[in-house]
Amino acid sequence: MSRGVKIPKHKKESITNKIATYLKPKVVYIPLICQNDTNITVLVKSGDYVCKGEVIARKRGNFKVPIHSSVSGTVKSIIEKPYLSGDMVKCVVIENDFKETVLTETEPKRHINDYTKKEFIEKIKNAGIVGLGGGGFPTYVKYDTDEKINTLIINAVECEPFLTADYMLGLDKCEEILEAIDAIIDINDIPEAIIAIKRGNTKTKEIINTFIGTYLKIKLVEVPELYPMGWERLLISQVKGVSYNKLPIEKGIIVNNVSTIYAIYEALKFDKPLIDRVITITGEMIKEPQNVLVKVGTSINEVIESIGGYKRFKDIRFITGGPMMGDAIDTDEVVVSPNLTGILVLRNNDKDELLECLRCGKCVNACPAKLSPVLIMNSLSTPEKLKGLRPEKCVECGLCSYVCPSKILVRNYVIKAKEKNK
Amino acid sequence: MKEFQVTSGPFIRDKNSTKKIMFHLLIALTPIILFSFYKNGIIPFINDKVTILGMFYPLIFIILGPIFTFLTELIYVKFFLKKDHTEVKRHINSSFSIFPGLFLALVLPINTPISILFFGSVIATMIGKMLFGGFGHNVFNPALIGYLFVTVIYGSMIASNGGYLNAMEMDAITTATPLSNVALVEGIGTYETLVEPYGGLLNFFIGTIPGALGEVSALLCLLAFIYLSILKVIKWKIPVVYVGTVFAMTCIIGSYNGLGVWYPLFQVMSGGLLFGAVFMATDPVTSPTTPIAQILYGLFLGILTVLIRYLTPYPEGVMTSILLMNMFVFILDKIGSRSRFNFNRSVFSFLFAWVLIIGLSLQIGYGFKKEDPKVDTNFNVNNIETKDGKTVYTVTQKGFSGNIKAEITIEDDLIININVLEISDDYYPKVTKENFDKQLIEGQENITEVETVSGATVTSTAIKNMIINTLKDYRGE
Repeated sequence: MSRGVKIPKHKKESITNKIATYLKPKVVYIPLICQNDTNITVLVKSGDYVCKGEVIARKRGNFKVPIHSSVSGTVKSIIEKPYLSGDMVKCVVIENDFKETVLTETEPKRHINDYTKKEFIEKIKNAGIVGLGGGGFPTYVKYDTDEKINTLIINAVECEPFLTADYMLGLDKCEEILEAIDAIIDINDIPEAIIAIKRGNTKTKEIINTFIGTYLKIKLVEVPELYPMGWERLLISQVKGVSYNKLPIEKGIIVNNVSTIYAIYEALKFDKPLIDRVITITGEMIKEPQNVLVKVGTSINEVIESIGGYKRFKDIRFITGGPMMGDAIDTDEVVVSPNLTGILVLRNNDKDELLECLRCGKCVNACPAKLSPVLIMNSLSTPEKLKGLRPEKCVECGLCSYVCPSKILVRNYVIKAKEKNK
Repeated sequence: MKEFQVTSGPFIRDKNSTKKIMFHLLIALTPIILFSFYKNGIIPFINDKVTILGMFYPLIFIILGPIFTFLTELIYVKFFLKKDHTEVKRHINSSFSIFPGLFLALVLPINTPISILFFGSVIATMIGKMLFGGFGHNVFNPALIGYLFVTVIYGSMIASNGGYLNAMEMDAITTATPLSNVALVEGIGTYETLVEPYGGLLNFFIGTIPGALGEVSALLCLLAFIYLSILKVIKWKIPVVYVGTVFAMTCIIGSYNGLGVWYPLFQVMSGGLLFGAVFMATDPVTSPTTPIAQILYGLFLGILTVLIRYLTPYPEGVMTSILLMNMFVFILDKIGSRSRFNFNRSVFSFLFAWVLIIGLSLQIGYGFKKEDPKVDTNFNVNNIETKDGKTVYTVTQKGFSGNIKAEITIEDDLIININVLEISDDYYPKVTKENFDKQLIEGQENITEVETVSGATVTSTAIKNMIINTLKDYRGE
């Protein structure tokens, strides 16, 4: 089974001394979407005054995740703005009054380990914490289980090239993150926590080792520098040597992204909901690539301007997310959502010559989901053949397209097959 | 105004490309081509066996192959499909049309006329490749399709032309290629009869044995394999399993008959097995893509090759096995893709392969033991007629392909005439050219000493055995 492929990292470009901030947007557009679900109830109307951190909408259905205002100010309207997928999504427009007024309902505990499990789940649910690694799955759901949790894995692998938000946050907030991990395993009675970092990430290793001494239950594990090592299934198989059927909890495992852990820390410590995050803005067409702490709902074009802007305006590609799984979209007025990990601006370089598939089998060898992409591609027109090839298992990591020597966009065919097979 | 191009991800790509893969293939073939030039051109020239043109013939031959397939495709696309200039350019750029011709030239005997190479190249391109829809769509290895047509239609002509022997080998070696020699020796053979006529196993390793232009050097094939595997150009599992299977099976067969490890080594380094395994069986388009299918493909290629070598009159079996297995690639890939999720899906295929490997090896090994090589069971006396003091024997003897039927006239206890009535061996014209029957009649007192015809060893040995058997019968031995 393939554990992934070694691909160029391109991380140095966006690693700077400090995470920049862009926390004073005049207007925010809070996207009304959660895990690609736009079935959301809006709780405010035009003209309402909202505090920073106030719940302005709530997801309907199973997981009633709240959505918070990231500024204090006046609700202007609800308009459509581009989301990271490029699709237009309804957003609540709030004019910032820069007062940063907050509602203080409950006093947060002074010691974050003092929460009961019930309080903890309630807290992170009300703080609207979702997976910040790109998944956007409500975090509280993972903990709200009757199964015994044996291991908490903190995913600090960040296997997508170019992106360094987790890395920078990890360096900057190492102590806080360790404190949060300790609290989480204490509250949930988890015997061990494993921080997974990439082999060769010496700086993170050093800094964690400096502070880890007092936390006996937290271990640091290095995983190979392969893509997509950060994929939950692969990471668990690498770190714990087990595989699961549907969810990691079957094996008593919870995986949280390192940025999510910091968001949990802020919720527990300061009663702060998820209203901002660190994103990487990088790529050869960005003047000064770096990481920026931004508020949810900020229009990305403002952020890019604030850090120096583009090198050129024509013949470039604007990509939301990393280069492997991200999407190129035609506008930079994308709004920050919790699952936006970064922005990549590259020159348009699609000179690669498309050739016939020579059946070299490299996509088969690369696929971490054990698929046979070349066969899926060639069976697109015969549904009965497709079934046995299990295209629904595809995680869209993009490795098949990456390795293809004939430069075929194999993943697109597999996604097509996935849809056909539904 | 900002302009963002929308393209499909991923936005970084591996630097590897199909063109690079093909380039590495050429690099790996270069030493093999040069060695062929050295062995079949330079050495005979230095030894005054050929003219300067003869020296360059192997090189010209190998270069003409790719030129022929390139031109065939160019003419086909330009004049038959009537594509415009840019389309033709794109096609040429992406079709890698030189390879079928190059591989075809490398697997043909040195004495193949260029016209036949041309014929084979056209067949390889048109039937082997374009008929299926061009590069990437062909089911069979195009070079092998060309090879098949050439061997079936012109095999005897090439053989009568000298076959696999270059100018040096015609004079120095009395036998044909090592594997056609296998059919001549008694029983399974010995080191003395199988390997020593070619000067030892080292010659097999280096490649100074008779064989097709590009496929004799085990060393160069091995180096090419290492180079291509490190650069991930070929599917390395296929040649490893293929060669391993043939080695294991011939090892069982050999040790059953008390032969040492030289025997499987001899089998592996003969008959173009290494060249076929490294270059032909790994042709990406016509080989399986999933790892388990590649292993199964190698196993069955090995089984088929051993089967053909021992149980049919055809000595080599490599090219035939690959062509046959090409047909099963899609089935193997089906098994291979499913067993990625659940290994049990492939268990039956593996069991089947193991049973075949062990069963066939033991069966073949046992078969040699049973046979008493002293008596030539393939000899038959059909009729004996005596008149005017002459005795006319009508006999049949098993030849290279099918039976040889002849009338042998004996007068005063001496053979005075040999009249071959029926023969289907491709090599027979060469035998008559050498007046082999006269040599036999002249040398009948010491018939075992009569040298067989080089380049037609199987046929001439059969005729010689026929005479020996007839004399034995006449003398009542």
